Parts: sequence; structure tokens; C-alpha cells
Amino acid sequence: MKKLITPAFLMLVVILALAELTARVFFAQDISGRFAYGYDPQAGFAEKQDGTVKLFRAGGRRFHPQSFQRHRPPDTYRIFVVGDSVPRGPSFKEAYPWLLGVELHQQQHLRVESINLALPGYGARRCQVVLQKALEFEPSLIIMHVNDTNKWEDEREWRRSLEFQGWHPSHWLMKVFIFRRLYEAKLEKVFWPLVPDQIRLKHAVSDADAQVAASKDPEEIAARIRLAQETMVENVALVRRHHIPLLVISQCRLEKDDGRPPHLTDHGLEAMCAALSGPGVYHLSMREVFNGPDFASYFADSGHLKSQGHRLLAEAIARKILREQANFGLPRVKVAEAGEAAGPSEK
Amino acid sequence: MSFISWQYLLFLPCIFILYWTLSGSKRLLLLLAASYFFYAGWDVRFLALVLSTTVIDFLCGLSLDGKRTAPLTALLLSLTPAAWTGVCYLFLPSAGISPGVMGLAAALGLIFFGFHELLWAFAGEGRRRGFLILSICFCLAILGFFKYFGFFVQSARTLLETAGLHTDPVLLKIILPVGISFYTFQSLGYVIDIYRGVAHACRSFVTFAAFDAFFPQMVSGPIERGHQLIPQLEADHPFKPSYLQDGLSMILVGFFKKVFVADNCAVLANYAFDPATHLNGYWAVLGVVAFAFQIYGDFSGYTDMARGSAKLLGIDLVENFRFPYLAQNPSDFWSRWHISLSNWFRDYLYIPLGGNRGSRWQTLRNLGVTMLLAGLWHGASWIFVLWGAYHGALLIAYRFPPLNWLSGRDDRFSWRSWLALPLMWVFILVGWAMFRSADLHQLWAWFASLGQWQASLDLPWKSSCGWLLIHTVPLILLQLLTLKYRDETGVRNLPWPVRGTVYLLLLLLVVSSSEQDKEFIYFQF
Repeated sequence: MKKLITPAFLMLVVILALAELTARVFFAQDISGRFAYGYDPQAGFAEKQDGTVKLFRAGGRRFHPQSFQRHRPPDTYRIFVVGDSVPRGPSFKEAYPWLLGVELHQQQHLRVESINLALPGYGARRCQVVLQKALEFEPSLIIMHVNDTNKWEDEREWRRSLEFQGWHPSHWLMKVFIFRRLYEAKLEKVFWPLVPDQIRLKHAVSDADAQVAASKDPEEIAARIRLAQETMVENVALVRRHHIPLLVISQCRLEKDDGRPPHLTDHGLEAMCAALSGPGVYHLSMREVFNGPDFASYFADSGHLKSQGHRLLAEAIARKILREQANFGLPRVKVAEAGEAAGPSEK
Repeated sequence: MSFISWQYLLFLPCIFILYWTLSGSKRLLLLLAASYFFYAGWDVRFLALVLSTTVIDFLCGLSLDGKRTAPLTALLLSLTPAAWTGVCYLFLPSAGISPGVMGLAAALGLIFFGFHELLWAFAGEGRRRGFLILSICFCLAILGFFKYFGFFVQSARTLLETAGLHTDPVLLKIILPVGISFYTFQSLGYVIDIYRGVAHACRSFVTFAAFDAFFPQMVSGPIERGHQLIPQLEADHPFKPSYLQDGLSMILVGFFKKVFVADNCAVLANYAFDPATHLNGYWAVLGVVAFAFQIYGDFSGYTDMARGSAKLLGIDLVENFRFPYLAQNPSDFWSRWHISLSNWFRDYLYIPLGGNRGSRWQTLRNLGVTMLLAGLWHGASWIFVLWGAYHGALLIAYRFPPLNWLSGRDDRFSWRSWLALPLMWVFILVGWAMFRSADLHQLWAWFASLGQWQASLDLPWKSSCGWLLIHTVPLILLQLLTLKYRDETGVRNLPWPVRGTVYLLLLLLVVSSSEQDKEFIYFQF
């Protein structure tokens, strides 16, 4: 046996074992939920014994670092914003959820916690996981973004989560955290940035962005809309069961086709969300919010907003909430005293 | 099953454990069963072809050695391929074997048997030559039909239509069986060696069948010689720890070359050689360099894994690659690239044609013919013939001034190497551009793009250079480490701390790029 196991082999095994042990012991919290790929029921909410809930990570995506109390403090209006990278924004204080909280506080002197639960690449399925968890923490209002662009990423991550849980021999090697993390880091940090989009389209079968970008097929778009609709119907029913107002925001895209001036399009999302409206469910169209003469200047790219775009959206949402206070539950909240801070604690 | 599939990673340890648990004839039976199981994983029907080649060359080999097989035994053996088609017909309906195919296999078996018995009516050298021709004709007929029938029919049709004659040829959808070129040549080499008196015929059908179908090298080489491999298969050697250590080391290096180098370089190469791609000079060069590393990593990686798998069983397969991109001239290149095939063509075609024993022009003719056929071996396409002709032309050109000045007597690095190496690299890359192109039209487009150096409108190439460097520099560093051992898998000779570090890095690089079931390029040959 001694001759069979050479010093080189032993060195290899020991180093790998130590690395794996270190990852599982000292980075347990960092790893926790990492390989559920956004389908962990805890959804990246880490609750401490003192009732503080800290937002950590869900799958490979991190929340903006925030924390709040499990039980909503009295006289506090708690808003949860669920969505993808569009509401997540370029930074915590540039994104509209924070600005919305500031706006409501300034206009109505309300004590507001506006918590940004948006995560990049999250489609309808994974947003639903976040929503289900968020409903445990006594929100006053849920703002939910509806898009049609992250279906493939949702499905890819779902496939990854199944692979990680499964015990098929083809996945044994990836049970090792170090290996799996390395593989994903190579894919996301090296392959996607270095290989041009046109090549990724032809090569990558698991590249969600490439598949989405590749698919301008009307049937594919219609399928994505259908999935978004089915999931939203479930979300509406879920939120209604909790008797919490829901504001659905239909996203739009800035398209610059050859031969046409830049224009906003929503691929039917607006009509879909409008159809879901009803008691306790309200709709705001991003396309209507940005339907001004300089709409293109608010967009950083085809889908994401610049800081001024987030500000405009925050103002539009604040106007809607304040105009329809009874619908959004505002009159039950006491006015905050001057000097009191608003918003969640950013950590 | 592919070497880089999870099925093989389960299959190999099982065979390893069973092999060393058994001894003697049971080991051979295990090897044979494992090899047939391995091949059946690709396509169960084509085991009939493997059996055909095995039976033909086993019987012809014995006959060449003066040993007559009992007629009944010869008949039963001759009908074994047909029997297998019958098994597929009865028990594997999804294999799609029809009674017609069974009948054809039986008829061919009977024809072979008939020739076999007929030749025994002769005596002496005439009979020996007859059996040699019988083996060559039947084996090459099988190879020719499955690999080249469509090509020749289509080429003839094109030629006739160019002459104004309209034809309506029979076009069959013929599937190319995996590894047919390799095991056919290996088997033929065995027969020719017996004819020449270099080797004796194998008396045991099981042993010979295991040689013919030995799973590590059956589908993509290296092409072994009977007198080198058969004694190893027959030897009842005990287990040594070095078999496991060396075998795993070779397999890891092979995995690294295939998964990390070849498959990642393929990302760029496939794009550059996509007919829909609008190339410029940057992408033409980037693409062919990427392909050069892809094909090297793919093929030599496969060979390393094959050698490593065989080494686990205590069997040494011949070296097939030895730092080919350090070649300083075409002769040097062909002594480093696919060495077993080069040696096969040298020993069984070039030398019988006369080699370099005749006049200078005869030598050049022999070189040209050999390389033309070597090109054709790679595929049923005029582009491969062109590639072979190109390398033949290079071999010829390097015998004349001024290039003969760069043809050193050995491959040692000298001051001439500073010119010889880059020049040879250019020639190799041009050859790979031919090899990779789908047809002459695409090849011409590649050459034309070398004159267009404006930046591509929609495709940045600089970041892709970074991608290529990331996946080739580790290979280059590994080869520099092992260069002094003159063995591409010489990692196992390094001091253990260095070896352990290299193993760790190779493993991490392999894992970072692992994706399931990417095909090996040389499987198509």
C-alpha cells in the first residue's frame, strides 16, 4: 500500500482535502445556499436569534447588503422590491427602491423601510422563491417587476441545482465545492467576458445570456411571456392570500433596430400585467413612465436604467402610492417625527 | 463510450480491478469482453465489422505461417460476423439490421471461406502471396466501402457530368464505423509482418481478437504491431504499483490536453472555420493557431489516455506524439506526429514501393504517393488528398535547396533552428488550414482573408487572443517541464513535490473546463 500511494499523490489529496474542509468550515455561511442556485427556500435571508434578518446571497447572486427586523416595527411602512438587475440598479443608493423610501419620507414624513430584494438575472421562477420568503417578514407593500428576459437563466440555474442535489455519476466530481466553484468561476469570469458574443452564441449551451440574446424568435418571446404570466398569476394569488397590496411593474426595453428610431417595447408585458390588476393588485408600466421626449437618456443599455432613470421611476411610484394611499395601506401608518431616519439599515 | 465520459470513468476501474484479480486466459477473455462492450457502446452493429477483420486476418495469418485451420472451424469463424448480425436482428431491433444485411454478411463469409479453402490447394510462395492478397483485398474492401464508396461515386459523377454525361448513381447512406481505419490498418500490419517473417501468427483466436479490438487503442490508435502487443496480452504479469501510478499520470495529462486545451481552443477554431463567418486576417491566423492546438490536444490527449488506460493493465502502447510542434522540417514533423501511422505507411507502403533505394525521382515519387494515400486515409474528401499532397510536396521540397539546408541530421536545437522552427510552423499552420477547411472554396476564402487586415466590424479578436493564451500557455509550460525526458507524459519523472503540484494544477484546470461528452476529432477517421 505504501508503494501504491506516492508522496505526490498524497500531497494532491491532502491539499484538496484541506481546501475543501476550509471551505466547508470557515466559509460555511458564504457557501450556504450557493449551490441551490436561487432555489433554496431560505432565498438568501439569514435570520439571527435577535430577530435581525440579514440579506446575504441567493445562489450565485448577492443582494445589496441590507438588514431589517423580522417583525415590522410599529408605524413603519415596509416595502419589498422583487425583481432582476433592473430594479437592483447600479448601486444601493442609486437604485430606485432606496430613492423611493427617501421620496416617501420627504413627502409624507413617513417612516419607510424600502428593501431592495432584486437580484441580477432573476426571472419569474426565482423571483417567486424570493417573494415566498419575503412574505414572512410582514411587508406593507410588495413591488414586483415582471420581465421576459431571464427565463433561460432561471432554467439553467434550476438544472444546476438539480445536478448538485442529484447523485448521478456525471455529477460526482462537482459535489466537491472547490471544483464546482472553480468550474463556475471559469465559465462566468473568463468564458463570458473573453469570448465574443457571436462565438458564445454558437458554442455555449448553458449560457443564459447568449440564448436570450440569440432568441428574437416570436415563438420564443411568446413562450417567455406565457411563463411570466403563469408565474405572475401564482404570485398574485400568493400575495392576495396574505392581504398585502401588490404593485406589479411591467418592464420595457429600449430597442434600436436598423432603420427605425429608438423606441420602447414591452413584448406584451404591459397588457398582461394590466389584465392581472384587481383588488389589491395594481399596475405601473415602465413604458408609460419613460414615455417622454428624452426617454433614451434614462437607459444605460437596452434594459437597465441610469441613475436619473431610477430617480424618475422612484418619483413615479411614489406619486402612485401617495395618490392611492388607501389602496396601498398608507393611512394606517403614523407620521414619523422630524429627524427620524427612514429606510433599512445598509450593511 | 468516450474516454471523457462518466461511463468510462466507471468502466475503467471495474476492468482494472477484475483484470488484476484474474489471471491467464481469463484475463484475455475479460479484455476481449471489455473491448467488445466498449466498442458496442459506439455502435453495436459494427461489431460485425470488427469480427470480420479479426476472422479474416486470424485465418490468413495462420495460413501464412503454414498452419491450416480445420475447415469446419474456418467455416464457423467465417460466419461469426453474420451470426452477430443475426443476434442484432433478433434481440436488438433498434439496431436496424435487416435479413438482407444478414444474408449479405453470410454470403461474404462464405466467399471468404471459399477463397480460404481454395488457396490451400496451392503450395509454397504462391499460396502465401494468395493469402496476403486475400487479407488485403477483403480488409481494404470493407474499409473502402464504408469509408470511400460515397466519395468515389460522387467524384465519378462529378467527372462524368463535367464531360457532359448525366448520371444517376446509386447513393447509399453509409455510416462510417468508429475506428475502422485504425483497427483495419493494425490488423493488416499483423498479416504483412507474418508474410515478411517478422512475426509469427497468433495461435489463439481469443488472443488475436483481444489484440484487434483492444479497447484503449482501438478507435483512435496508436496503431500497434502484432509482435509488440500480442506478447504483452499473453504475458501473465503480476501487478506493480508503477502501473497504477504511471497510468493515472498519463490519463490526467491526456484529460488536460483534451478538456482544457483542445475543447477550449475549439471554441475559436470552430468559429473561424464556420462557412458563415466573414474572416479577416486576424481571425484567419487566430483560428488556424487555435485549430493547431485543438487538434494536437485532442489527438495526443486521446493517445495519452489510451496509453494510460493500457498502462493500468500493465501494457505499454507505442508513443504516438513527441512534441510535434518542435519539428524543424517535414521529416522531423512526421517522426513526431501520429508516429504509429507514419511508421505504418513507411513500413507497409513507402518501403515496399522502393523507399529511397531507387533513383532520386523514384524516391520522390514514393514520397508523393505515400503522402497522398496518407491524406486520403484521413478522410474521404479531396481536401484531405490535397493536404496529403501538400505534405508530400513539403517533404520533396526539403530535399532541394534552399530548404534542404534546414533539414538537420537530428532534431537537436541549433542556431539553424531559429529559422527552421518558425518556418516549419508556418507550413504546419497552412496544412492545418487545409485540413480543417470543409472544401476548396472555404480554403480559398481562408487564403484570401490573409490579405484583409482591417479590424472586423463586429468581432473583436484581442480578447479572444487572451482566451487562446490562457488555454495554450499551461500546455507549453507543461511541455517545457517534460521536454528533457523526451516524453510528453514525462510528468511522472519529475521530483515528487513538483509532480504533486503539477498534478494539482492539471486537475484544477481540467475541472474548470469540464463539460460532458465532447467528441474527439480523430474518431471521424
